[in-house]
Amino acid sequence: MSVSGWLQRVGRKVLAAVQHAGHFGILLVATMAALPQIRRYWPAAVGHAKRIGVDGIALVIVVGGLSGSLLAQQTGYQLSNALPMSLVGSGVVAGMLTELGPVLTAIVIAGRTGAGIGAELGTMKVTDQIDALVTLGRDPVVELVAPRVVGGIIAMIPLVIIANFVGIFAGWFTAVSVLPMTTAEYVQGARSYYHSAALIFSLVKAPIFGFTITFVACYIGLRAEGGAAGVGRTATAAVVAIIVAIMVLDVILAPVYNAVA
Amino acid sequence: MIEIRSLRKNLGGNQVLDGVDLVVNEGECVVVMGPSGTGKSVLLKHIVGLFDPDEGDVLVDGISVPRADGRTIRRIRSRISYVFQNSALFDSLTVEGNILLGLPEGHCRRRDVNCNELVREALEHVNLGPEVLPLLPAELSGGMQKRVALARAVVGRQRYVLYDEPTTGLDPLNASNINELIARLKSEIGSTSVIVTHDVDSAFFLADRIAVLSDGVIQAIGTPEELRTTPDPRIQRFLDPAAAYAGAM
Ligand SMILES: Nc1ncnc2c1ncn2[C@@H]1O[C@H](COP(=O)(O)OP(=O)(O)OP(=O)(O)O)[C@@H](O)[C@H]1O
Ligand SMILES: [Mg+2]
Repeated sequence: MSVSGWLQRVGRKVLAAVQHAGHFGILLVATMAALPQIRRYWPAAVGHAKRIGVDGIALVIVVGGLSGSLLAQQTGYQLSNALPMSLVGSGVVAGMLTELGPVLTAIVIAGRTGAGIGAELGTMKVTDQIDALVTLGRDPVVELVAPRVVGGIIAMIPLVIIANFVGIFAGWFTAVSVLPMTTAEYVQGARSYYHSAALIFSLVKAPIFGFTITFVACYIGLRAEGGAAGVGRTATAAVVAIIVAIMVLDVILAPVYNAVA
Repeated sequence: MIEIRSLRKNLGGNQVLDGVDLVVNEGECVVVMGPSGTGKSVLLKHIVGLFDPDEGDVLVDGISVPRADGRTIRRIRSRISYVFQNSALFDSLTVEGNILLGLPEGHCRRRDVNCNELVREALEHVNLGPEVLPLLPAELSGGMQKRVALARAVVGRQRYVLYDEPTTGLDPLNASNINELIARLKSEIGSTSVIVTHDVDSAFFLADRIAVLSDGVIQAIGTPEELRTTPDPRIQRFLDPAAAYAGAM
């Protein structure tokens, strides 16, 4: 391929990326502007929060429990005899609160709710329902995006708390049944690590991730094109984009926590 | 009044509209006909600002739709209702919820308004009973969805109504009901309408003028009588497919 042809292709890709960023920014600004009009969409937001919670809770409990159990085993097997077993408790609490609780909950909800929102708004887009909403004088951002985003923010907080709690409990159960340690040692370790900054960090991540999941899903859903096949691609694209966004945010937030704590 | 001036629109490399000029006067009913895929729906969408023209202008009540700011465009849209070709009912809302969306926001909170009455009346117009109110669009047949979409479009009694194939997919009885509904709205509230249809009979029944859109431009426009007597064989063939069919045999 000629150099100019190659340049053209790169140029088109860059242009597409810039356009994407522009549209993303426009929707972000519109969403931020719509959020204060909470009275117009509050009932819908509560409905979405309930649905996200009900849809996600079983999987969040399973994944939270398994990750707590894994954390306990990993920490336990790596401790040499010189170190006290109580560190297992510290390891589980630290791992659950700061990382696994919020991140794994977000990934579970991305798979359930993110895909659902992407497909739902994608279907509305390709069947002209979004256009119909606009011609009926309604603002799709207020009617569709804001309630889902607020619902996601609300639902993620209890889900992350539950994941943390179940993970720490499963860590204890694994510790006393598989590892050579007692409940007292686990609790002592857990206490020695625990400080409220870790819990607060966990609870700050929850709404940030809740916003990210629902907002990215709405953005991708509203850009769907090409009938049923397009909607399918949209749902997949939404999940992939959300997981990448969550991981990137998590990496960015880690040093923030270290600086504060 | 709706004025479309030298409207050009390219979609995906395809010059769909290539200089369309069309004026729809107050209280007038203009039927747009033309082969499938010539941009009739795209033309209607320009009137409510769902598409922005590449060139040219669209004016509603003298205000440019593509150049209107957010508030102005909302004001223009509040005067227009639009029946989408594929109904576009909200599938998470019941029939009642869908029709209520056809009313301005907050309208039902007014004391002097009885929204249940308005919804029932709109349903009656399209020959549906109140038993469909709690149903979801997925529980309706295609023709029933179309009629609910029409009810949603007429419940607010807007001055302008744009119909994209309102009778396609309906049985002859319901189709003629819809034609009568459109004619009644026009005589009762003096609504101005643009109707896209492939149905020659309803075009001749409803139209004050018929416009034939093809190859991106209006090829002919005139009263039904004028078009019927036009010497242009392409228009003739289009308006009388039976004759064209017989001629081809
Ligand atoms: N959103 C879009 N993106 C790209 N191309 C489009 C879009 N909408 C319509 N087109 C193209 O514009 C052309 C006209 O489409 P339009 O839907 O207006 O046809 P139509 O005259 O309404 O046909 P029909 O009678 O079948 O409904 C078609 O070639 C279509 O592929
Ligand atoms: Mg069409």
